[in-house]
Amino acid sequence: MEISELKALIVRSLDSNGDPGEASRLLEEAGVSYSFGAGFQDKVLERIASTGNAIVREMESVRNLNNIFYRIALSGVAAIVILLISIFMMQGSLSVDAFLGLGSSYDESLLYLLTGN
Amino acid sequence: MIRESYRQKSDTELVKSSLEGDKQAFSEIVKRYQGMVARTVKAMLGDSVFSEDIGQDVFIKLYYSLSGFRGEAKLSTYIQKIAVNLTLNEIKRRKRFFSTFSQKGNNEMYEFEIADHDTEEKKDARELVGKALKKLDPKFRVIVVMRMLQGYSTKETAEILDIPIGTVLSRLSRAQEQMRIILEKM
Repeated sequence: MEISELKALIVRSLDSNGDPGEASRLLEEAGVSYSFGAGFQDKVLERIASTGNAIVREMESVRNLNNIFYRIALSGVAAIVILLISIFMMQGSLSVDAFLGLGSSYDESLLYLLTGN
Repeated sequence: MIRESYRQKSDTELVKSSLEGDKQAFSEIVKRYQGMVARTVKAMLGDSVFSEDIGQDVFIKLYYSLSGFRGEAKLSTYIQKIAVNLTLNEIKRRKRFFSTFSQKGNNEMYEFEIADHDTEEKKDARELVGKALKKLDPKFRVIVVMRMLQGYSTKETAEILDIPIGTVLSRLSRAQEQMRIILEKM
């Protein structure tokens, strides 16, 4: 196809009343075609496999982090329970004073401690 | 023999099999639509290895979004939408990159790779179309590619680009005018 004919075809193909299918076919016959290189399918499948592995690795690391978090949280809860039991056993209650270690202190001795008189 | 059985399957059957983990079924989808994706991506971005990467990205995105494909539109339309979106994003990314790092600003890095086995006439034809497309604004270029190279109707183009038919018609008219001016100068 001559260049002038090709130019006319390109402009004609953009006519809204024209047949776009025919223009694209004629252009392809004139050499205006595009394709990917050899082994394109295999490259796509390889990349899917590698991204799949990356996703699996990411999921495993998230799962590991979750396990670590649960272990730390459980240890914390156990420590708090032991602390509460020990406070209850030592002070006989779980009041604010008992928490602050003031459960068995008398006001006078407290004043003495604070003022030194 | 196995290959042949996949070739005879419909798009819906291939999607269903792919979702069940059948890699051969997805490979058949890639084979069936790689030409269509190549036309969009390479005509929009230029014929280079970078375009091939975007082409691969289209199918990878398709693979991970197959569960969202409800079959309301044709699979080709669904793939074409992904291709257009990724390509336009790439053009924006390149423009940002060049406006940051290049003094020339609006350079898009549109390349040509003319195959050696083509005849001179075919090489000239590809070069002419490539150069003309490069000079078009991306929003007109995508309309031209859908119409001129993919052979889509106005309605199909509107559906793929997610814009009203009236917008497609007005852009097509302006693209035709721009293309006429560009080709006259070449």
